[in-house]
Amino acid sequence: MSAVIAARRRHGWRRYVNGLSLATLLTALFILLPLYWLLISSFKTPVNVGSSPPQYFPNPLSTANYTQAFVHYGFGTYFRNSVIVTVVATALVLVLGTLAGYGLGRLPMRGKSSVLLVLLMISVFPEIAVVSPLYLLMRDLGWLDSYQALIVPYTAFNLPFAIWILRNYLLGIPKEMEETGRLDGASPLRTLWSIILPQALPGLFTAAVFTFTACWTEFLMALTFNSSNNYRTIPVGIALFGSPNVVPYGTIFAASAVAVIPIGVLVFIFRKSVVSGLTSGAVKG
Amino acid sequence: MSASVTLERPPGAPAAIVGRPDAHRRGLARLGWGFTLPALIFVGLVTIFPIVFSIVMSLSNVGLSASGFALNGFTLHNYDELIHAGVWRYALGFTVGYTVITVMVELILGTAIALVLQRLTRGRGLMMALLLLPWSMITVISAELWGYIYEGTYGVLQAISGAIGLGRPVFLGTANGAIVSMMVADIWKTTPFVAIIVLAGLVMLPEDVYEAAEVDGASGWSTFWRITFPLLRPTLALAVLFRILQAFGLFDLPFVLTGGGPGTATTSLAVLGYKVMFEDLEFGPGAAVATSTALLVLIGCMAFLRVFRAQAGSEEAA
Amino acid sequence: MRNTSDQKQRSPRRSGRNGVRVAAVAAAAAVTLAACSSGSTPTSTSPKQPTGSATSASITWSASPIAQVGIRAALIKAFEAAYPKIHVTLISAPTNTDTNRAQLVTQISGGSTSPDVFMGDVIWPAEFGAHGLAVPLSNYLPSSYWSKFAPGLVSGASYNGKVYGSPLFEDQGFLYYRKDLLAKAHLPVPKTWEQLKSESETLQKDGLVKYGFVWEGNSYEGLTCDFMEYLTSAGGKVVNSSYTKAEIDSPAALRALTFMRSLITSGVSPSAVTTFEEPQAMSVFDAGQAAFLRNWDYAWSNSQTPSDSKVVGKVGVAPLPTFAGQSYPGYSNIGGWNLYINPHSTHLAADLTFVKWMSSTTAQMILGKTYSEIPTVESVRKALAADPSAAPPIHVAAQTRLVPRPAGTPNYPKVSSAIYTNVNAALSGSTSPSAALAAAQSGINTALSGGL
Repeated sequence: MSAVIAARRRHGWRRYVNGLSLATLLTALFILLPLYWLLISSFKTPVNVGSSPPQYFPNPLSTANYTQAFVHYGFGTYFRNSVIVTVVATALVLVLGTLAGYGLGRLPMRGKSSVLLVLLMISVFPEIAVVSPLYLLMRDLGWLDSYQALIVPYTAFNLPFAIWILRNYLLGIPKEMEETGRLDGASPLRTLWSIILPQALPGLFTAAVFTFTACWTEFLMALTFNSSNNYRTIPVGIALFGSPNVVPYGTIFAASAVAVIPIGVLVFIFRKSVVSGLTSGAVKG
Repeated sequence: MSASVTLERPPGAPAAIVGRPDAHRRGLARLGWGFTLPALIFVGLVTIFPIVFSIVMSLSNVGLSASGFALNGFTLHNYDELIHAGVWRYALGFTVGYTVITVMVELILGTAIALVLQRLTRGRGLMMALLLLPWSMITVISAELWGYIYEGTYGVLQAISGAIGLGRPVFLGTANGAIVSMMVADIWKTTPFVAIIVLAGLVMLPEDVYEAAEVDGASGWSTFWRITFPLLRPTLALAVLFRILQAFGLFDLPFVLTGGGPGTATTSLAVLGYKVMFEDLEFGPGAAVATSTALLVLIGCMAFLRVFRAQAGSEEAA
Repeated sequence: MRNTSDQKQRSPRRSGRNGVRVAAVAAAAAVTLAACSSGSTPTSTSPKQPTGSATSASITWSASPIAQVGIRAALIKAFEAAYPKIHVTLISAPTNTDTNRAQLVTQISGGSTSPDVFMGDVIWPAEFGAHGLAVPLSNYLPSSYWSKFAPGLVSGASYNGKVYGSPLFEDQGFLYYRKDLLAKAHLPVPKTWEQLKSESETLQKDGLVKYGFVWEGNSYEGLTCDFMEYLTSAGGKVVNSSYTKAEIDSPAALRALTFMRSLITSGVSPSAVTTFEEPQAMSVFDAGQAAFLRNWDYAWSNSQTPSDSKVVGKVGVAPLPTFAGQSYPGYSNIGGWNLYINPHSTHLAADLTFVKWMSSTTAQMILGKTYSEIPTVESVRKALAADPSAAPPIHVAAQTRLVPRPAGTPNYPKVSSAIYTNVNAALSGSTSPSAALAAAQSGINTALSGGL
């Protein structure tokens, strides 16, 4: 019976997907072509970066931009700092955000709406306006030129929206899940950890990607709070490439081709859970 | 006002535990606060001071000197100046228009991509990794990349357009060209993340509703409109909310691609705020730009949620 | 309608409000604290004796990368050899000048003692001076110190009678041209803008080159620089000498702007020039696609570096042309960088030692001879101008006429913005030159009176 349903379903969906697939192919091309352009331009020599008509494949193929980025500009240090700051901030956001998202999404608290509203207000406030006062705060704490100067504000400014994301996905999980935990005599934390969270992995993934990317690409705070190269992150490091009148496109593209690797790693780590998220529905049904 | 913040609840989650003893309920509520407070305290400690500081600054005569900001008394002058400044009014209109258009396009494209990704059984991880590359790219760099693509003498897009007989337009050279070019770059970068938000929502939908639809013999489109779409509403709302927040903060693209030009055609509120604060060193008016922007976005988000909720209600009734 | 829905949720809403109010009080307390703690370092005005040891300290120097790799490190090395007990740590600043300024303003107004010394744009003195974000160096350095610089540089580094920046190296607009193309077509180096345009048209018509002339026309500070050159050569001004009134809406300005627009409409300059900053203009010229280029000093070494350029050995450099009927050469806009001192620095005496050393013959020769930057000290300039091995722009610099940007007001960024946004609008054809100048006139007047 279920096999029949599955077959019919696939049939019904296939027509639907076919209508969509052409458009999707175009969209995929639209997303991939600029990436292709970034990648091949990072292998062009400086003079060929500005050649007209443009080279659709680099000739000669040069790795000078990569050498330049890592050896001359010390990109490795920036990369390390970005990884440290981003990973710690993302972990903090996920832990605090999951707890809060669970409370706000699934537990009967009074004043939830106000809390969510205040969180939204915090996430709408433009970064340019908070940098100067935050600088004063960091200076008084003696945190300038340190990892926590970035980890703490990144966590705080990304938490509000991460809570919104996590709450939204946690809301969608059937209520009986907690019952299962309660009947087994598990503590609330244990229920959250071993019963609710596995159901919410796709949401967790979304929040993780959101936070990771926001920290990974943040510029203004990173520039202002840390002026020692030992604590500077990738976006700041790249802003030091070249000179006021020279934009070394090739080197910048080489650095950013390397800089997107971690997001690939992140997706790889979460791949199983996100893919299995689909099948978990079938299991519970 | 706060009522509209609550997104409607998907059918999977009952509103509250009905008919339980009060003590248990209170216990759960206490637990809820216990779970929520660590995050709130963390956020509060770091964000409230700078935000309140800027709001206060926007309402003060701000003097800047080596010894920091001097707040010399209350004034509404900063806001008054904004309202009478043509640049601010233009930036506001531009930012709103830009937000509305890009958010709509990204939502439609992102949902389409998510629906297809959901159907992918093999290679979904790879596809998602690829999709997320634009999103994870440092914004200034993706702006540089598009600047390089759009460049008016050696840019690849111009070369392609010339080769297929469409002439050699200077994409960033006219107001409309620059605005559309910027939107394309924005859509390129952000649509994938909208797709991920929607995909996560899709993946978490209960399977059995589809099966019911299949038994009914519903077609793909009608399954989508009748079943998937309503269930997906909270997630779509989240995606839109997120995009409104981001699009309203539009900064890197105009900052790198056009410097806000041609003329002032692509000067967004964030670019204006940055110029007023960090170039003109007018921190009072700059804080007013920032605060009024935040206020407008907030109003925009709430209006959206309210309309969205009202519409959901009327559909359910019908 | 709003009321009814509000009432439904009255209690959560009220608790939310209370939450906000409590937070606001806490934050207001924090504001007061911060205001107290950050208000501790007043700028000293009268004492002529700087604090700290002049020969022993560890100081930080913030500087964005200078055109050629290694200049900053070479200067620091030579300085530390001269003053072994002063250790200088370089803080590499962002290459984007506006980003650089934003960072410095936040740090200095936030009370940071680092950087001790910073390299800043020549257009910053009024803004930094007016807000006390730089030490008035003339309080510590005698007039004999300032007299050694080339004319105009010290007045450009001054605001309200005090000098805030010590000129480090200078920059200015040059005309770069393709020697080979001009020789092939038997054309002279143009002395007027009109001549440059007609020679370009000839070269383009003969199929020798794709574009005639490339320059910086994007809506940004660099366009103000370029516009100043045409404007001054045509006999126009931006503001009156007391910075109280705009004078940009003039027949001379109209001539300048109309000519700039005609470069684009005639096809001498690509229409993309309205999106060009230095890198794009340089790139087109380096690729061999333009006969003439307006750019700064660095363009010489850039065009002569084989990995960057296809026109090595084919390039000449000259002063900028003027308008027909005006005396040659035309005006070049002043760019370049000064050294400033952070008012919170705790090593003022050592900072001054460093700043003074940077205007020594040793330092200026490193800049001028080794790295072909234009020195700011007159005697070094003269020595290099007589030295055949010095880079061609340094020789040409001795013959140019200079014009500063109207940066004598703390409101200069807004003045400049009123210039470049309106000029750019006229260049891209979205408004007429006369309408653009009228708009610039009113924009500048608003800026001078302190409005947005």
